[in-house]
Amino acid sequence: MRAAAAFAVGLVFGLVLSWSGMTSPDVLRDGLLFRDPYLMLFFASALATAFVGLRVLKLVQARALLTGEPVAWTTVRPARHHVVGSVLFGVGWAVADVCPGPIAAQLGQGVAWSLATTGGLVLGVWLFLQRAESAEG
Amino acid sequence: MHQQLAWYVGGPLLGLCVVALRWLLNERLGATAAWSEAVELVAVGRRRLGTGGWLLLGLIAGGVVFGAFGPGLDGYGWLTDTFSAPVVVLVLVLSGVLIGYGAKLAGGCTSGNGLSGNAVLSPASLVATATFFGTAIAVSFLIEALL
Repeated sequence: MRAAAAFAVGLVFGLVLSWSGMTSPDVLRDGLLFRDPYLMLFFASALATAFVGLRVLKLVQARALLTGEPVAWTTVRPARHHVVGSVLFGVGWAVADVCPGPIAAQLGQGVAWSLATTGGLVLGVWLFLQRAESAEG
Repeated sequence: MHQQLAWYVGGPLLGLCVVALRWLLNERLGATAAWSEAVELVAVGRRRLGTGGWLLLGLIAGGVVFGAFGPGLDGYGWLTDTFSAPVVVLVLVLSGVLIGYGAKLAGGCTSGNGLSGNAVLSPASLVATATFFGTAIAVSFLIEALL
């Protein structure tokens, strides 16, 4: 059930990202250069919807439908690594005009170029995990 | 069906995915965490696919569904307009490394921090989002100036 629910949400997410042009580098670039307001409006309306939806869940003290646990979340205090990581991510995002969700959707669409981006993404995550592990060990 | 989904339809649908994952499983939706789970299967000997792994498979499946009716990409934006194929591949690999390493270090990408984290007003996500949007806008204008 858990797996099916996560898969279904991912499928809708990937389909909407694709259909909105988030898998098209030109749409992303036009958004970041303010040539087309689509990206900003799309992002802002997604965020506003998520904000309201999560408030409602909290307000009605909802329990997770499949696990029964109370819906709850934690917030995180900002630290230097959030800024440093986001600068690195921002550079990659602007150059490749794609972020992790759309990279997965591009793979599904059969965009051959995404194999290169995926290779890099996997390598980047792997490097981070190695670093984290050696820091712990 | 080939047209871009109107932002006021696509945006709210995307936001509802964040709400849906929270309501169904009480979990945070983030594409970087999803990729990370897949990498952890190999890198740190993670045993089984969790929510993130299935979310990632769903994302790919969403792309497959769109690929069945949507338009394909012709080239790859400014990169293929500017560089030869081997250079584009190299640039995409390097960008991918920055995206993967950077998003992990930042605790999320456009979905994890940008949507899920900001929606609960997590201060770290607000800082991260301002930083990656600011950086990406600056770098895009820089590329535009250099081309």
